[in-house]
Amino acid sequence: MPEVKVLTRHFGAPGVTGLEGYRRVGGYRGLEKALRVGPEAVAAEVKASGLRGRGGAAFPTATKWSFLPQGVFPRYLCVNADESEPGCFKDRVLLEEMPHQLIEGAMIAAFALQVSHAFIYIRGEYRRQRELLERAVREAYSAHLCGPSVLGGEWGCELIVHGGAGAYICGEETALLDSLEGRRGQPRLKPPFPAVKGLYGQPTVVNNVETLSNLPYIVVEGGAAYAALGTEGSPGSRLFCVSGHVQSPGTFEVAMGKTTFRELIELAGGVRPGHHFKAMQPGGGSMQILGPQHLDLALDFKAVSDAGSSLGAGALVVMDETTCLVDVSMRLVDFYRHESCGKCVPCREGTYFESELMHRLEAGLATEAELGTLPDVCRAMDGRCFCPLGDTATWFVMSAYRMFPEEFHSHCGAGACPVRSALGAAA
Amino acid sequence: MAAVEAPGELLRVTIDDRQVEVAPGSLVWDACEKAGVYVPVYCAHKKLEPVAVCRMCLVEIEGMPKLQPACATRVSQGMQIRTATDQVRDFRRGNLEFLLLNHPLDCPVCDRGGECDLQDFTQRYGPGRTRSAITDKVHFDKAVRLSDRILLDQERCILCWRCVRYYEEVTGEREIVLQERGVHTLVDTFEHRELQSEFQGNLPEICPVGALTHAQYRFRARPWDLRRTASVCPKCSYGCNIFIDAREEQIARFASNDNPDVDDSWLCDRGRYSFPELNRTERVLNPEARLGGGRQPVAHSEALARAAGALLRVRGDHGAGAVGFLCSPQVTNEEGFLLQWLARQVVGSPHLDHRLEPLPELSPEQFRLGIAELEERDAVVVLGDAPERSAPVLTLRLFKTETKRRRRVLRVPLGTPAASLLEPLQGCRSVGVVAHQEQRSEAVALSRSLAGAGLSSSVLTLVEGMNARGCQDLGVSPAVLPGYQPAAEPGMHGRAILEAAAAGSIKALVLLSPDPEWERDPAFEAALSEVEALIVVTPWLGLASRQATVLFPGRTVAEKAGTVTSTEGRVQRVRTALQPRFPFPPDLRVLGELGGALGTPLGVQPLAGPVFSLIAEAVPPYRGTQGGLRADWGAPA
Repeated sequence: MPEVKVLTRHFGAPGVTGLEGYRRVGGYRGLEKALRVGPEAVAAEVKASGLRGRGGAAFPTATKWSFLPQGVFPRYLCVNADESEPGCFKDRVLLEEMPHQLIEGAMIAAFALQVSHAFIYIRGEYRRQRELLERAVREAYSAHLCGPSVLGGEWGCELIVHGGAGAYICGEETALLDSLEGRRGQPRLKPPFPAVKGLYGQPTVVNNVETLSNLPYIVVEGGAAYAALGTEGSPGSRLFCVSGHVQSPGTFEVAMGKTTFRELIELAGGVRPGHHFKAMQPGGGSMQILGPQHLDLALDFKAVSDAGSSLGAGALVVMDETTCLVDVSMRLVDFYRHESCGKCVPCREGTYFESELMHRLEAGLATEAELGTLPDVCRAMDGRCFCPLGDTATWFVMSAYRMFPEEFHSHCGAGACPVRSALGAAA
Repeated sequence: MAAVEAPGELLRVTIDDRQVEVAPGSLVWDACEKAGVYVPVYCAHKKLEPVAVCRMCLVEIEGMPKLQPACATRVSQGMQIRTATDQVRDFRRGNLEFLLLNHPLDCPVCDRGGECDLQDFTQRYGPGRTRSAITDKVHFDKAVRLSDRILLDQERCILCWRCVRYYEEVTGEREIVLQERGVHTLVDTFEHRELQSEFQGNLPEICPVGALTHAQYRFRARPWDLRRTASVCPKCSYGCNIFIDAREEQIARFASNDNPDVDDSWLCDRGRYSFPELNRTERVLNPEARLGGGRQPVAHSEALARAAGALLRVRGDHGAGAVGFLCSPQVTNEEGFLLQWLARQVVGSPHLDHRLEPLPELSPEQFRLGIAELEERDAVVVLGDAPERSAPVLTLRLFKTETKRRRRVLRVPLGTPAASLLEPLQGCRSVGVVAHQEQRSEAVALSRSLAGAGLSSSVLTLVEGMNARGCQDLGVSPAVLPGYQPAAEPGMHGRAILEAAAAGSIKALVLLSPDPEWERDPAFEAALSEVEALIVVTPWLGLASRQATVLFPGRTVAEKAGTVTSTEGRVQRVRTALQPRFPFPPDLRVLGELGGALGTPLGVQPLAGPVFSLIAEAVPPYRGTQGGLRADWGAPA
């Protein structure tokens, strides 16, 4: 079976959303052990685990931690719970099912980094999740799992939950920091990187919810045990959010590198009956399209990268033959147009250009000449924008155009969406 | 690629096959500028921190897969930069196509048409026409009144953030913010509040397009119709460098002419918007003289002869001490110097001043510190609020000193004892004391006390009036001769001269560019109605021009050439920006010729250049300063 249980192994255990229930399944043993073995030992286990960031960029966590300059305090930890990637809902599940697992992970990281203030920046729309989280944080405070003296020891760390106002861009770590500081949520100019000058100008680590939720297991079981779950290039396990045209959409934890896209789709019940697979988007709304030829690829960083896409934030949107890829592209581009912060020209104006063009194309109004501007528009955006938001606003549409050129061309001057028209004629 | 850099070692970089050496920490943009390679920018600004949002300056750098913003990338040793590749050109075209998607095509009615970076870059790098089928642009409000001085066209804005950053970094007032997001992003004031800043006029200047415009300049001129003249702002003694932009012998606007040592490219609104008074058309247009019962226009030579005759008569009947000389601080150094020559050497009277109130104990020690030097002091002590009220741009220098240079700026009330400053100044080695001239004695005493406590301390005083400092340096005052040499026989100060005239002991008055404000002073009126002879050189109609026995049409500061000295002792040129509306000689020649008519030829042409040579001879610190340098008055005594 491709499924493994690390993050999800206690999902559904009685009362596990609360402190008592979490403790019954061994909760906070990781934090206790961490305090016992010391920060260096924790960092060493994380290094041994090969854990890579689960927010999308897959940057090795231990390396990120190591960028903090020596001896500069205060330094901060920010937990990125601003999950907003289209097709992504794994952090939400982690927050709903086991908020204490995240708190424990965050406190382990805070201890390893000798941080005295940690912040959880949670997506504005996650209101219920925020309430659950805040309740759990209150429990943790009363049990001295965070606060001025953690577990009665010398080290203390405040844990502060901060809600965003509902902006995709605030998932970008420097925009998150600006938003957390009370500014307009917009990415910062780098360098300096957050590790050197982050929150309030101090050294800062920003880690994703899933990344940190792995730490209790890594500390208790050891980094090597965690790494062995996956392969050398893609160690550990990972949550994938499978959605779209599958029978049972949901979040699935699988071993990295050892599981294929096909197996993952099977876990979600396979493509809905009577239909067949057309394409899929791994990684969430930002990543490039993959086709039937990629179904047997392993969920491996390198394999997916070689195929021209990325595992991104761990989403998989499955599309069957009823899907118009011009339509999907249009909707994704609309998303980026709506979420562009407006800071840089290519993203602000480029997503607008793209979106207007895709609307005309999907409606069958665009000419071939207009479609011909699409690659130019995307070229003036990809790699030219201030932050990755604008770059990634071109990736799906361009990859879909390359993989299904005839579908795009058939829209030109058609007066309506030909895919939809064909479906209507068939029915 | 990059070799290990020794600190301070120059970095060698190549830009499009041109090699330049730049200091470590330089931006690629700086290196390009040094190499003479033009890189287009919208958001970058020499006086603001980089934000890299407009992306116009993206260039290729070897070893970096993506194009990099020249405005925000620091150079490294051996860096290879390319600005003219197909990739760069292609992107510039694409980026301009983006910017024009939602930009209104109202250039024909836009004040910035002709001096707009969006127009210029589109011409140079952009696509000729749109390829977008978008017919409905994103619209915003036009001509939003941010204050009575500034209008904002939100549609024309390209969101470079310069105005927002200006308010954050230069004034600290944060009056303009970004709102909304994505393609709906706009700049506005928070909750549509009216701008309060004293420095709003800088906004249209840093705006690269026609989004922020001057209400005063709206629809007034086209840039290609303007004649630009470099000069000095006449509104106070700070000496901000300006361009006078004139159209058809009317000033259309004052624009900043960056002098990093003085204004750092920022003007205050009081100065910038002060020019309408120089455009007034109700002027003295002819030499006139009192003949018999009334006054009549006369030839210039006739006016000179009558003025000389009147002065000779008074001197003959009552002695040289019966003649008084007064000017306002709006005169140039050359005019002031000739006025004191006329008084002391030609007529022989010690009664001479450039202001009404007395100014005892003048010395160069009150002026030791320069404006730019404030940034180099560990701390700056500002006495009261008079200095900043007198010269508003000083506030921006103090803000920069405090924020960018991280120095201590202490604003203290008058009468603060030095002892109470020692604690806040702890750890400082050097301190600057800034005071208004009225508090010069207190400032010098405070500075001496601080020096006594081991600090290196010096004083910057703010004098009142454009060229008050020049008048003081050059002895246009009763107690000191040119160069602060004490006068053997001190004369009467301005108000005493007026009172003596009213009382009858001063029989003749020579007024050069009298301050129109004086006319509200009863002493002035009393003096003018009593004197036998009143020789007036003035541009303005008023009490002085009406009462004059001999009247010469004077020139405004925009109509003459010469030098003026700013409060920190910087000798700067004013140039003729407008031709006067009359064909008569300038004030300086009137003074020189009057001396000749009184029997003492000047010896040189009464022109700014030759007269400056006389000044440099009489006042050695002025030698070689007329290019904009501070006169060096030597180390503290």
